[in-house]
Amino acid sequence: MAAEPHLSDDEPRKLDRAFRLWASLIVVVVLSGAGLVGFLAMPLAQSSQIGLDAWTAICRAVGINPGTPAMRQPVSASQPLPVSKVAWDYDILHTLAAGNRESGAQLAGEVCSACHGDEGVSPSPEFPHLAGQSAAAIYKQLHDYKTGARVHPSMTPVAQALTEQQLADLSAYYAGDNAFGSLGTRRQADYEDVAELVAVGAPERGIPSCNSCHGSGAGGPIETPTLVGQHAEYLEAQMNAYAARERRNDVYQRMRTISARLTPDERRRLAQYYQGTR
Amino acid sequence: MLTARRLMLAHFWVAFATFGVAAVLGAWQMWARSPLRPPFLSAENYFASVTLHGVSMAYVLTTFFIMGFGYFVAETALKRPLPGRTWAWVSFWMGIVGTAMAVLSILSGRATVLFPFYPPLTATPWFYIGLVLVVVGSWIWCGLMIAAMAGWKRENPGQPVPLAMFGTVANAVMWLWTTVGVAAELLFQVIPAAFGWVQTVDVGLARTLFSWTLHAIVYFWLIPAYIAFYTMAPKAAGGRLYSDTMGRLTFILFLVYSLPVGMHHLFMDPQHSTGFKFVQAALTVLVSVPTLLTIFTIPASFEIGGRMRGGKGLFGWIKALPWERPMVLATGMAFFMLWFGGGGGLINMSYGMNAMIHNTSWVTAHFHLIFGGTVVIMYFAIAYAIWPTLTGHGFRSMRRLRLQLWLWFVGMMVMTLPWHYLGLQGQWRRVATFDYSDPIIAGWGPWVLVSLFGGVLLLASSLLFLFNLLPPHRQRVGLRLPPQPVGYALAAHPPHRVPAVLNGFAFWNVIVLVLMAAAYGYPIAQFFLLDAPSAVVHRVFAGG
Repeated sequence: MAAEPHLSDDEPRKLDRAFRLWASLIVVVVLSGAGLVGFLAMPLAQSSQIGLDAWTAICRAVGINPGTPAMRQPVSASQPLPVSKVAWDYDILHTLAAGNRESGAQLAGEVCSACHGDEGVSPSPEFPHLAGQSAAAIYKQLHDYKTGARVHPSMTPVAQALTEQQLADLSAYYAGDNAFGSLGTRRQADYEDVAELVAVGAPERGIPSCNSCHGSGAGGPIETPTLVGQHAEYLEAQMNAYAARERRNDVYQRMRTISARLTPDERRRLAQYYQGTR
Repeated sequence: MLTARRLMLAHFWVAFATFGVAAVLGAWQMWARSPLRPPFLSAENYFASVTLHGVSMAYVLTTFFIMGFGYFVAETALKRPLPGRTWAWVSFWMGIVGTAMAVLSILSGRATVLFPFYPPLTATPWFYIGLVLVVVGSWIWCGLMIAAMAGWKRENPGQPVPLAMFGTVANAVMWLWTTVGVAAELLFQVIPAAFGWVQTVDVGLARTLFSWTLHAIVYFWLIPAYIAFYTMAPKAAGGRLYSDTMGRLTFILFLVYSLPVGMHHLFMDPQHSTGFKFVQAALTVLVSVPTLLTIFTIPASFEIGGRMRGGKGLFGWIKALPWERPMVLATGMAFFMLWFGGGGGLINMSYGMNAMIHNTSWVTAHFHLIFGGTVVIMYFAIAYAIWPTLTGHGFRSMRRLRLQLWLWFVGMMVMTLPWHYLGLQGQWRRVATFDYSDPIIAGWGPWVLVSLFGGVLLLASSLLFLFNLLPPHRQRVGLRLPPQPVGYALAAHPPHRVPAVLNGFAFWNVIVLVLMAAAYGYPIAQFFLLDAPSAVVHRVFAGG
């Protein structure tokens, strides 16, 4: 095969210079061309459509003047009614993280333990165990009682008397150190008939699996309560209340929808399943 | 001639064994997404499986394969022993320890953060530290590749570096640039959050830093396939490489244009302005240039081969090519898949069209077709091409090799084409199961089943691949080969001297620096300069 035409000694060096020059030139042209379109032509062409002057449009394209001036939406006549006023924003998460467990313990002894037992282990199936819940779960329910999103003859006045900081302190206290707190480690019951509902749900009836939110690490909303070890009577009563739409503080109606699709028998079995073994 | 044979085989077997496991998981995931109910299905298992499949395929298979192939090229193309062999083993064991840490974290359920990990989800710190170890190990490899080329250049002043090594070093240099983004994200944002030292993560910044890595990492995986296109396939086809300069330009263009383009993954991210998104989209268009050069050069090289074998007429040379050789067959299949995958990619990178398919199954289908298809089928072909040299034994029959490639090719097309279509229908990605009782979703069912069938073919092909590679190790009699020199394709006009700029990377590093400063300088700086609405969110522990 023919070799490359012979190059004189300074030929590679000349070629080299040409390569460097052209490569740099192409990069400069590409960059400035793209910049002209992206930073000048596009914003100028679009500025009038979104009601901006040219200078503001260019600043936004560069990113100096961030935020999009959204078109004003017509205000609808009815006020939206949120099911819960808890929004997990930066401030709330910081308040929760700073909850004081000692003050929480003192407060719990004075206010909560009469019904919910010492250290949140409730002696009566009418009142839920609080031990082992996450701080977010406790806070969400207390806050909902406070705002009226959830109603209970005894809990509503209790919660309304508490300050934000006290809510955070109580949440920190009941969240405790480990997953089950003073409740001790519990396991779900070994029931074949509802295991399927828990693990995969019933897609043909539009019921997602319980585990998709209540399984550990499933990525459900952070306020999702821990179910394992809870009184079966309490759990069943809550699902029945959701199904009857008496309880309505579930965001996006998740639990109202799911509970209504479960048969009463399934609700009972699921409650027993989660109460599990002690 | 090979002095580091054990080193190379160790890398390849780690890569391929992991690949086999990940292929099983992949098929199971396809099954999980279909209307059929697989065993072990739960959301936790699905997402743990997604994480493990992604980490195995994208970090372990690729990194170990590329390092092993780099060592192979350094010894065979430069015809000199690999420098710093102890360091190579150190890098290997760092990779092994890191991989083990990551895999155990995932298996314990404490690192279900998906691939490629999404802050503010945080896993156990050991997961990230494991990944960092793999990356740092690969940096040692980069150093060894650069040292090998520098040593050869000192011994051969003024001579052009063999193209296979030039491409390998281009990849090493690119990888050093590439990993800066993800390393910054892990070290300054994710790992502190995983330890709980900080409670919040600025996900806007995290995504931006990851986008720095995200596109170039794909080219890191792709370049070995291109090295095979340029230096192995033309020879297997019985021809010559049409142009050595085209090869050098291709590798240089990959180095230059794969980096300042990652923001095309962030078109929907509100933290960035339209101007910078446009500039990076424009630069992304240029990354198609090296692929277009290749689409021209390799068929031209094949045409030389076909005509030398007696092919006549406009298309007669195609028929005359030795398609029974795995390297030729795989190259043909890779190009065919590149056609579809590249077309899909052009849609992804278009600022406007991206909105249709963003976060849908289209995207997953795209990267399976282009990576699993074009790239991995060339990994197979490379393994088949160099296995006789590595083991000293040939393959008894090429039929099983061809069957494996065909299964992979057909499986990949059958799996990904309906998957693309589902994305256009709006099927979302990163979802464990679909509610097929919903009338809209029910219509997706048959297409997902077709995809699942493709996945089963791919699994069969993966297992056959491992099965094909084993016998040469065990052979006692027959087919014992004399020490095999690996020949790389000669160019039609073999270069005797090339301009220094096409024989090294100093100048191109300056160009990359300029482009990166222009494309990413302000978009990253703004997170520290502006008092803009931020995306600082609380970390979420994903697992246990």
